Amino acid sequence: MKKTTGKKEKRKGRPLLFSILLVFCILGSIVYAVSRKIEAEMSSSAIQNLSESLDLIQCTIEAILGSQADFQILVAQEIARMEDPESYILGYEKSQAVARMSLIPAGETEGVSNTGEAFTEEGLDFSAGGTVRGLPVSQSYLNYMGTWSYTIKCPVERDGREIGTLYAEYIYDAIDESLPRDGFYNKQASLYVMDARSERFVLKPKGMGMRTAGHLNLDDFYRANDIRDGEIRAEVAACLDKGSNILFYHDVRNVRALNYMWAINGGTIFLVGYVPVQAIQQEGRTVNENIVILVASMLAAFFLCVLLYYLSWRQQDKIHREREEERKLYNQQLSEALQAARIASESKTTFLSNMSHDIRTPMNAVLGFTTLLNRDAENPAKVREYTKKIMASGQHLLSLINDILDVSKIESGKVVLNLEEFDLSGVTSSVCAIIQPMAKDKGQDFQMYVTGIRHECLVGDETRINQVLINLLSNAVKYTPEGGHIRLRMIGREQRSPQYERIRIEVEDDGYGMTPEYLTTIFDAFTRAENSTTNKVQGTGLGMAITKSIVELMGGTIEVFSQVDRGSLFRVELELRIAESEADRQFWVEKGIARVLALEPDREEQESIQTLMKNTGVDLAVASGPEAAGELAREGNFQLILLDWDTLGMDAAGTALALRETLGDSSVPVLFLAEHDEEEAEEALSVGRAGVLKKPFFVSALREKLEELWRDGEEAPPPEAGKDAGLEGMRFLAAEDNEINAEILEELLSLEGAACEIVENGRLAVERFRESEKGRFDAILMDVQMPVMSGHDAARAIRALPREDAGKIPIIAMTANAFAEDEKAALDAGMDAHVPKPLDVELLKSVIKQLSARKEP
Amino acid sequence: MRTKRTKRAAAFLAGLMTLQLAACGGGETGKVISIEKEEDRVVNFFSPMEKSDPDAENVARTASELTVTMAEEALGVTMAYRTYTAESYQDKTYDDVALDRARNNMDDIYLLNPDTVLALGAEGKLMDLSGLDSVKNLRDVVKVANTVDGKLVAIPQEVAAYGLFVNKDLFDQYDLALPETPEEFLECCRVFQENGIETPVGANRWWLETFVFAMGYADLYNGGNTEAEIAALNSGEARYSDYMRPGFAFLKELMDRGYIDAEKALVSEAIEAEGPDFLAGKTPIVMAYWGAANTETAYGKTDFEMQVIGFPTSRGPMPVVPITGYGIGAAAAHREDAAAMLDIMTSDEALQIYSETNRVISPSKNVKVDCVPALRPLNERIEEGVYVLGSNAGMSVEQWGNTCLIVRQLLGGATVDECMAAFDELQAAALDS
Repeated sequence: MKKTTGKKEKRKGRPLLFSILLVFCILGSIVYAVSRKIEAEMSSSAIQNLSESLDLIQCTIEAILGSQADFQILVAQEIARMEDPESYILGYEKSQAVARMSLIPAGETEGVSNTGEAFTEEGLDFSAGGTVRGLPVSQSYLNYMGTWSYTIKCPVERDGREIGTLYAEYIYDAIDESLPRDGFYNKQASLYVMDARSERFVLKPKGMGMRTAGHLNLDDFYRANDIRDGEIRAEVAACLDKGSNILFYHDVRNVRALNYMWAINGGTIFLVGYVPVQAIQQEGRTVNENIVILVASMLAAFFLCVLLYYLSWRQQDKIHREREEERKLYNQQLSEALQAARIASESKTTFLSNMSHDIRTPMNAVLGFTTLLNRDAENPAKVREYTKKIMASGQHLLSLINDILDVSKIESGKVVLNLEEFDLSGVTSSVCAIIQPMAKDKGQDFQMYVTGIRHECLVGDETRINQVLINLLSNAVKYTPEGGHIRLRMIGREQRSPQYERIRIEVEDDGYGMTPEYLTTIFDAFTRAENSTTNKVQGTGLGMAITKSIVELMGGTIEVFSQVDRGSLFRVELELRIAESEADRQFWVEKGIARVLALEPDREEQESIQTLMKNTGVDLAVASGPEAAGELAREGNFQLILLDWDTLGMDAAGTALALRETLGDSSVPVLFLAEHDEEEAEEALSVGRAGVLKKPFFVSALREKLEELWRDGEEAPPPEAGKDAGLEGMRFLAAEDNEINAEILEELLSLEGAACEIVENGRLAVERFRESEKGRFDAILMDVQMPVMSGHDAARAIRALPREDAGKIPIIAMTANAFAEDEKAALDAGMDAHVPKPLDVELLKSVIKQLSARKEP
Repeated sequence: MRTKRTKRAAAFLAGLMTLQLAACGGGETGKVISIEKEEDRVVNFFSPMEKSDPDAENVARTASELTVTMAEEALGVTMAYRTYTAESYQDKTYDDVALDRARNNMDDIYLLNPDTVLALGAEGKLMDLSGLDSVKNLRDVVKVANTVDGKLVAIPQEVAAYGLFVNKDLFDQYDLALPETPEEFLECCRVFQENGIETPVGANRWWLETFVFAMGYADLYNGGNTEAEIAALNSGEARYSDYMRPGFAFLKELMDRGYIDAEKALVSEAIEAEGPDFLAGKTPIVMAYWGAANTETAYGKTDFEMQVIGFPTSRGPMPVVPITGYGIGAAAAHREDAAAMLDIMTSDEALQIYSETNRVISPSKNVKVDCVPALRPLNERIEEGVYVLGSNAGMSVEQWGNTCLIVRQLLGGATVDECMAAFDELQAAALDS
């Protein structure tokens, strides 16, 4: 298609190209025609110019000849008046003008010359009949000076009678003096004077090279210049006969030249020569050269303009194409965005539909069972059953709402990580505590592995990490059929920086798996795998979106690999900063533990224990079996024994005792590492000063367990009376604008034996507290969103009251605004704690307990 | 980026326009146009000319013009050529015209043949050139040949040796060795004639005298007693006719046997008559000057193997060296400029260029140039110091011109005795003067 378009464009370009060429051809033709016309005119003008120049020379020479004849007539007249003409002749001095003056008296054949010699007419040829002013002029000859000359004879008459003839010899050199000194056309033209009769060259150009000055006669001129054309020669001969002028073109030494024969004095002598055509057409050539320069300049300017235009056009075209590309990209993005929006809209519609269903279902349960409760209020068994179901539905509804709110927060970018130090052991134990029962309920095998972790005390948002793990694992539990297998792996990866621990978390199951299509949208919000199997599973479809967002917020990555009916693998990569307080060696020194003997057959477990114990400063000796452990025990002094319960089983107790015996110290603490049969392992505690350490092995868990062992050795302090009584006898001031909530609160507190005064807004709460006597209230429970005065303002107002206990009385925010920033805002307003709604009485009790403890010391 | 390019293009166009305006702007500056002409310094040079051939390259002329150009550039003087060549034997000869022109101070520098050098030198018409810088580089023989009455009156640009130009292919064709003696020469001619070459020797009215000089003066110049023999001639103790007789007798024999066409030779100009036949391979032997072997207008380009050998004598092949030269008119209008030009034209630098271009023997003892292969036999003899002079200012009777004229008498039918009588008259006249 593109090629076809290209061809079409080329075809379109051709006419334009031909048009331009045509214009140039026409322009070129015009320029050529003008140039030729100018050249022809200039050539004609040049020939005219040459003719005029030759005419001028002709006139000059004829004028010289005329003046010579006039002079001779005057001399003849002078002589005629003289008594003794011969003495006049003898006394005449040779001059540049007259080489010799002679006189032959009438009737005689010999006379005298001014040279003193006798003179006869012999050697002088007047037969050609040439005359000057009517006086006969001789043919040219070489005179006694060795130069070409001619003689004019003039009769000397006295009283009408001829008394003699005066002969004057003139040399051509005299004429030469009157010819153009620099020659013609910047010395490019040659000029000879030829005697017409003898065709001898009697005057040659001055100042020219030997070659050009070397022509002897007309034949030599023809030969030298290679003029062989018989027609030309015949024309020239005819002109010589007639005494007329002729010009003809002929190349002289490969240069086009104009040759000329110009008759002087009626054809007795001729001007002969040639001039290169380019010399006489100098002006024409200059004009043409200038035209060429002009045209070339204009063409250059034109092509420059075309080039500039082309460059500009190309630039514009490039910009245009870029814009077009950009526009296409925008359109594509817009289209994709529209598509995404549609999908999102559809997803949200689907989600709302799902939510409607998911919310209505538990709500329906709540309302339905409430109706049943109302009906069967007298039947305590049914009431308990109904309330239990209402409670479950409420919990589900709450989790649903929490997820929705989480997604909303993540999408609006309001999630803030709460970074603090935490132990991986805490994470694993809490996750295990939640997932293990769930898996157990479904008859699934849940296993947890920790390998290659170097540091277990890290900095991060433990809650969110828990959330990620629970989301992934609960999904695995949900989407794995009964009897399936679920694996959680925490793998320490090679560190890129000594300050950071790289952890890979893998959650693998052999459950239903997912289709490739679904895998592409699994992390999008409001999507949920839909099929007959999974439809039985309750869920918001937000878990994976939340999980991915949290992982990315932590700077990590999440990948998923899945095959339908084969299972799924979720892989999370996290890089968490190592806590500064992690390397706490002091604990071990204080406890006097310098050497630990570990009996662990599994090599991976061995390595894991060794890696984790590396930073404690404790010398760890690892044995793979009881015998090796016994050998080690013999060698050294161990303050702690770790035994793998899973391998030893019921022999573990015996092994522990045997090792103690070998060590010679029956009080050496023994910890059994157990994964599965934790309860059975507890039976081995009969060996005394022993405990069970839940796998996977973590140093923090070990420390904790050791702390427990040491504590067990000491007498536990008796619990404080009344402290565990919860809220019994306490009095609260509660600000709550919602009557139902107020009633629930009042009832719940009364169930705990506490009294509560309810006010409807913050202002009333402030007033009530101001009016009350000191110690009237143990704490103030403050809703946040209330009419008249908000909970925050009320808290500030109470703290500002001029009462001794105004700054001390615990104020607890109790609000449906359950986010971290809500908690922070409450604390900033001067409140002491934050308890989210719906109210969890146990949580409230715990908070109050903490506040009391803080206040008392 | 684009703005920058546009600016550059605009600046370029503006520059172009400015240049064009500047080029067109050189108009009239006022109404009065003054034209100043520098006075040209010209030196008139009279020389013979060769009839021109449009395609031929005349090396000798090129060589000469190179030195003239050198002098013109050095001095800012222009050399104006004035030339003459006789159209036919009936015309005045170049020498006649040169004499007339020199006697009437028509030119400044003249290229003179040996006889005219002596004649004009004796008349005091030529300037003494012994003061020129270039003179100190000249070979002694050159100075001797051109010194008249103690004045160096001419300086040449080449030593013009004459020899026999032979068609080696024809000699080989008839199994003939190149002749060294008169007898061998006659034998060769006989063989050629018997083989259909009726006139084996091409001749003109100028150069047959070289046979006479070679035979006559072979012993005089190579016998080791040159000065005494010349002194005897000048004093009248010995006669020129005795020296010249063998040569004239030899020429007479050649004419009588028909080896030379005397009638034709008498009216023939040099090279013009005998040249075409020699070049066409019809005539095996001609005589000419050294430079003719180098120039295409003479014998510089032949279709056969040409060799130049000496004239036959009892002493073997003998080159004849008539030293020509440039003379300056004693009363010439531009004699100072002419002398300066000649000084440059005959300097070692100029003669080096001249000799290299023309491949001739240089008159300067400092300039040596290889000759063309054809000239090697002649050159070897000259290098050996075996040659005769065609002119000698030390002899009381002028040789080159007079002998030429007397040979013409022989060609015209005079007997050898009549010719010898003419020499005796000349000697007597010289003794009288």
